[in-house]
Amino acid sequence: MASKRQDLVELSDWQLVEKCQAGDADAFQVLVSRYHQKVFMVILGLMRNRDDALEVAQETFFRAYRKIKSFQGGSSFYTWLYRIAVNNAIDAQRKQKRNPLDFHETMDGLFEARNEVARDPFADVHDRELRESMMKAINELTPEHKAVIVLRTIEGMSYKDIGEVLGCSEGTVMSRLHYARKKLQDKLSAFL
Amino acid sequence: MWKKLRNPVLLFSLALVSAASWLHAADSAPHAVQVTVRSILAGSKSDEFDPKLKNLEQQLKPLKHRSYRALKDETQTIPWQGSKAFDIPGGRSLTIATQEFQNDRIGLKIRLTQGDKPLIDTTVKIANKGNIILGGPAHEGGSLILSISASTQ
Amino acid sequence: MSQCETIQESIGRWLDGELQTADSEAVRRHVEGCPDCAAARQRLEKIHATLSGLLTAQASELEFAPFWREVRRRIDEKRSWHEQLIEWAQSLVTSPRLAWAVPAAIMLVLGFFSLAKWPVGGQVSNYASVESIDTHGRNVALLRDDKTKTTIIWLYQDPEGENENVEEATKSGPAF
Repeated sequence: MASKRQDLVELSDWQLVEKCQAGDADAFQVLVSRYHQKVFMVILGLMRNRDDALEVAQETFFRAYRKIKSFQGGSSFYTWLYRIAVNNAIDAQRKQKRNPLDFHETMDGLFEARNEVARDPFADVHDRELRESMMKAINELTPEHKAVIVLRTIEGMSYKDIGEVLGCSEGTVMSRLHYARKKLQDKLSAFL
Repeated sequence: MWKKLRNPVLLFSLALVSAASWLHAADSAPHAVQVTVRSILAGSKSDEFDPKLKNLEQQLKPLKHRSYRALKDETQTIPWQGSKAFDIPGGRSLTIATQEFQNDRIGLKIRLTQGDKPLIDTTVKIANKGNIILGGPAHEGGSLILSISASTQ
Repeated sequence: MSQCETIQESIGRWLDGELQTADSEAVRRHVEGCPDCAAARQRLEKIHATLSGLLTAQASELEFAPFWREVRRRIDEKRSWHEQLIEWAQSLVTSPRLAWAVPAAIMLVLGFFSLAKWPVGGQVSNYASVESIDTHGRNVALLRDDKTKTTIIWLYQDPEGENENVEEATKSGPAF
C-alpha cells in the first residue's frame, strides 16, 4: 500500500485525475494532499473567517470529487480546482449574514486562541496592525476584486489563468487587479 | 445563475422550446383547403390494378375487389368556409364545403348526388394531408370509389 | 498624464510579468531612476508580501490528516434523493458532454408528438372521423382499416333498383 502511494505521488495531476475517473480513491487523496493548503489559502483570502474557509475548502474538494468525471483536461487541473473553490467561496460569502463588525473580534479571538502573538514572526505592533488593516481592507473589496488579488498574490497566476478561473477576459482581470491594488493602497496608506 | 444561463446549449434549448410552442400554438383557420377527388372503378371481372393508383393500393385492399381502375382526378381549392362541386363519373356530383380546422384536422361537409337526388350527406374530419374513402354507387358493372383528400393552404 | 503617472499605472503589470519585453524594460529603467515610482513599487510589493505572508502562515498550519478525514466523510456520506436530483440536473445544465442531451431530448419529444403529421414510408397517415351521416334511406357500412388508419364509407345500393346493373353492383360490393 505504501509503495502504491509512493507511485501515485510521482504521477502528474492529469495522470492522477485519470485514475480518479477510473475510481481510484487513493489517487484523489494524493491530489488533495497536493492542493489542500493552496486551496485553503485562496479561500481564506476570500472569506472573513478561518472556520468558514476550512469548511468551504473541504466542500471544494468534495465537489471536485463529484465532478471529476466531467473534467476533460481542457484547462489545467489546478485552474479547474480553483474555479470550484472561488465559486464556492463567493457563494458562501453571499449566504453569510455575519455582521462586519464581528470581524475584529473574530480575528483577535483567532490570534489569541492560537497563541499567534507568541509565535507570530511579526511581533511588531505596527505589522500586526498592518495585517489587521490588510484583512479589513481586503474584505471591503467586492468578491470579484478580492478573487483577482488573492489569486495573483498567493498563486502568482498569470492574468490568462486568473481569467480562466473567474470566467472573464484578461483585460477584466487587469482592470480589477489595478482597481483592487489602488483601493488597498488608499486604505493602507498610513502603513506603507 | 446568470452565467449558467449564458451557456449556449441552455439558450439553444430554450429557443427550441419557444419555437416548438410557437409552432404548436392553437390552430388558426387556413386561407383555403386544397381537395383532390380521385374517381376509381372497382370491378370483379379481371385482376388488374391501375398503376396510377399505386399510392392507394394499401387503402383499397380491404375492399377486396379484383380490379381497380383510375377514372378521373380532380383538384380544386376551396376557400375557407366555402364550397366547391366536383364532377363524378356517372352523372354524379360531389359537393364539398370546408367547415372547421382543429388539431390539424379538417372538417368537411360532403354531399354526393346523382342528378338532383342526394345519395349521401356526411360530415367528416380528416387529417390534414389525409384522405377518406367513399364508395358503393354502381358504375359500369362495378362500383364507384371516391378517394377524397384534403390539405390546408 | 505625466510620465510618472503612466509608469505607475503599469507598475502592477510589470511586477506581474505581464508587459511586453520592450515596455517592461522601459518601466524598469524609469523606476530605477525615479524615487516616486520606486516608492510606488515598494508599496505594491509590501501589499503583496503582507497579504501573502498572512495567508501563507495560516495555511501552513493546516494539517492534512483531519482535513482529508472530513473530505472523505463527505464523499462517503449518503445524500438525500433530492440532493442527488439537484446535482444530476445541474450536471446536465453545465456538463459540456451531456449538455447537448437536453436539446436532443427536446427534439425527440417534439418529433414523437409530431409523428402523426408526417408520412411514414410514403403512405399518408390517416385518421378520419365521421361526425354525421345521412344516406337517405340506404344502407351504409363504416369501415376503419387499422393498418392504414383509413376510414371507408360504403354506400349499399337501393334494392329497388335505382341504378343500372343492380345485381352486378350488389355482387361487386366490398367483401368486408
